[in-house]
Amino acid sequence: MADKPVYEEASIDGQPPKLASIPASDTTVWADASPLLQAACAGLRDGELIHGDNFNLFAAMSALEIMDPKMDSGIVCTYYSIDEAIENGAAPIPISLDSTIDVRCTIDIMDHLLACEAAWHKGHSLAQTVFSCIYLLRLDRTAPHALLHSYCRIIRATCKAVVSVVSDARTHEEEDLFTMTYGLPLNGDGDDKCLSILNAVEETISRQLRACKATSSKRRLPEDLEPLQSNSNLEEGFCKALLCRLRFRKHFFHVLSCMKRPQGRGLESARKHIASCLTELESILESADFLRSCFDESCEGDIDDKTTASGFEPIGFDAMLNSRLSAPTPPRAIKILSWKKAVEYFVKLLHDLDVICSYSLDPHLESLLRFVVQFQKSQPDLVARSHLQLLLVQDGKLYGRDPFFAVINKAAALPEATKNHDIQKNESFLQLGMLVMNLLKILCTNAAWQRRKLGKFLQDWRVIYVQLELAFRNEYGEVSSSSNDENTCMKIFQHILLWVEEQTYWIAFRFLILGFELELYSTGEYCMVYWYLYAVLIKLTEKTHLMMAVSHDTAKRKGKKKKDSSKDLARESRIPPAVLFLQCYICLAEGLTMMLAALRNEIPVFHSPSPFNTEHEKFVQHFELLQRACIPDHVSYPSYKESTTHARFSTLAMYNYFKDAQRIAKEVKSSFSNDPERLAELRKLEQVAEHNSVAQNVICRLGALDPSLKVSFEFSHHPFFATVVVKRS
Amino acid sequence: MEVKPEEKAEIEEPEIEYVSYGGEHHLPLIMNLVDQELSEPYSIFTYRYFVYLWPQLSFLAFHKGKCVGTVVCKMGEHRNTFRGYIAMLVVIKPYRGRGIATELVTRSIRMMMESGCEEVTLEAEVTNKGALALYGRLGFIRAKRLFHYYLNGVDAFRLKLLFPPPRQVL
Repeated sequence: MADKPVYEEASIDGQPPKLASIPASDTTVWADASPLLQAACAGLRDGELIHGDNFNLFAAMSALEIMDPKMDSGIVCTYYSIDEAIENGAAPIPISLDSTIDVRCTIDIMDHLLACEAAWHKGHSLAQTVFSCIYLLRLDRTAPHALLHSYCRIIRATCKAVVSVVSDARTHEEEDLFTMTYGLPLNGDGDDKCLSILNAVEETISRQLRACKATSSKRRLPEDLEPLQSNSNLEEGFCKALLCRLRFRKHFFHVLSCMKRPQGRGLESARKHIASCLTELESILESADFLRSCFDESCEGDIDDKTTASGFEPIGFDAMLNSRLSAPTPPRAIKILSWKKAVEYFVKLLHDLDVICSYSLDPHLESLLRFVVQFQKSQPDLVARSHLQLLLVQDGKLYGRDPFFAVINKAAALPEATKNHDIQKNESFLQLGMLVMNLLKILCTNAAWQRRKLGKFLQDWRVIYVQLELAFRNEYGEVSSSSNDENTCMKIFQHILLWVEEQTYWIAFRFLILGFELELYSTGEYCMVYWYLYAVLIKLTEKTHLMMAVSHDTAKRKGKKKKDSSKDLARESRIPPAVLFLQCYICLAEGLTMMLAALRNEIPVFHSPSPFNTEHEKFVQHFELLQRACIPDHVSYPSYKESTTHARFSTLAMYNYFKDAQRIAKEVKSSFSNDPERLAELRKLEQVAEHNSVAQNVICRLGALDPSLKVSFEFSHHPFFATVVVKRS
Repeated sequence: MEVKPEEKAEIEEPEIEYVSYGGEHHLPLIMNLVDQELSEPYSIFTYRYFVYLWPQLSFLAFHKGKCVGTVVCKMGEHRNTFRGYIAMLVVIKPYRGRGIATELVTRSIRMMMESGCEEVTLEAEVTNKGALALYGRLGFIRAKRLFHYYLNGVDAFRLKLLFPPPRQVL
């Protein structure tokens, strides 16, 4: 066995320790390879490459230039291994022999770990963030330091829990760095007891806090307790700073545990812990003033960039130690979030989790879809979205509770009794259940990923519709059945077919509007997008209206007799508010299409052809997935051209779609008085309609060709209906 | 130490000379430009991969003998489409805003088109307004948004140009 390499003492200028000698063994000998290397250098001319079976130019791209700091991550490291780092005092235990400094340094480590955790959540690898902590990498050696030990344990247990949630959800989309944990010591023996270990430490510090308060008020100490650290003036501040940090970790761990409980059973408890977390985070923020002022030395640099509340650099971290573990490609240096930003991140995460925990687990799919869409508006991060997904889809059921056929049954306005019908064992209905489950999962992913998945998903929904329709026709053809069960089956098919169509158009609608949110459309493409949106909305409205009529029938058949039958009749003939809402969308889409078309037809600068392709190619590209799924049918580039070629401001002057939108929005507001979210959107739609109506009138009046006119588009009022801004220079 | 403000180079349009990649002697010029301006670290092999296999797709822009811009591309079969890919595009700061980048890219795309490519693609940071405008004018659309594509957390757009189907000769 080879002897261990002998190290020189680390030199004073901080150079990494050099190997004095690697001794030869019985079977090895050192030989000078310089002449060989010299000859090799002369063996190839510039530009020549040795081609091997497995080595071509493409493979050569993976080459790294040794000693290049950008590529050769190993070159910038201080220590060769974790053990070497520890041997050289990179992670001392205790951190300092001066108990005051030891406590402050411990708090710095806690703060830096929080910043690392936030950086990890935001998309960096665990190895380069949380596990850049040497104490965490060798957790057992922290045992003599109760505070550090308990904190590291709960961090490790928390990371493991979070990795588990994100892995289970499999929503990590492009963020696959998140769950990479190979080589990292995430599993600790006895981590299930981390809470009790933490509680013990918290209890001790609480007593120390009480003791120092008692001393200051000159009351007799009830117990003979060793203080936290030696400076009595700082004792209270340090105790408080530590307590809020420990308590935050405890409550956060509880949040994760509660939310994990099946069928949303722990949501209410989770909310209480979330509230506690937020309180502790506030205290943590408040502790910063004390931590910054307790030492005479002030720290350099902008305090806002620091990863600790005190502003001091934390001891015991080295991101390069894991460089071989963190990723298949050489890792680049990453920037850990500032401590302030880390706290902000956790505040947002907790608010997002609170929204999830407050959800009523509504069995109505339509409400659930609206909840998820609304939730996504706050742009929740991966950890929050994973938690939502796991709440919604568990054990192949909605909320782990409702079988998907029952959910579809309800959504398709079928009577309660049919939810247990045998027809659900039919292959097509099973597949439909899977589609609904996948839809929910997709809706929990980040917007960019979501849109791509929804686009591809359209094909699946179209196929299932065709399958169901075929099955329906095969079973029932043109014959009008007499048996009860056959009638029921027919009804199930009819309702579900209609519902599938409605859902398909809803997905298409979502696919199109996400393009605005993701800024995928340039101004020159708005016309075709609004035109396509108009076409999809027409179909969606049609199906929604039919669905509501059918749902009303079902309700009537349940025997709900209303007292005032004449009012009932009037209500029946009125268009349902949800449909009117969609009609408002339609008017705005139509208005924008025609206005954009008129601008393009009348003003040369609005129509700038590119040298390599035409509008046709752009149309094909943007709507390829919709076209492939025939959503809607009979919609194509030629029909788009036909609809828009003749648009002129002179004709627009005679018909103002925006005024229609305004009128509908006003009318339907009262129907949504109990729905603050839809009410808010209606107000936005009204604003867009009003602004655009005025803009249209201005352009009509001045004439589109007026050179002083400058037209632009902003999404200042509504996320996907543009406000037209007309300026005169 | 005094920091000189950037001076805009005084040039007249015809003074820019566009040259197709001509050999090993062009390689250090390209490497210097890209190393200077772009943050990605590339080894020499990366450059060689592109310019050796597709020399006709890389172009250099010279002004009075000095290399001021370059474009490096490739093309190949990708999931049943023959597709061009723009890997690197650089114009040094004093020469920007004069359409040099547009001209470089245009030459490359034209070559791709003539070689039978059906489409051209590249990625660009969502914040790179200049690139987005340049490619937008050439007919690229933003086909996808790639979440947190870059290490600093910035998203990217995948830009795609679809060529019209070749005209049938009857």
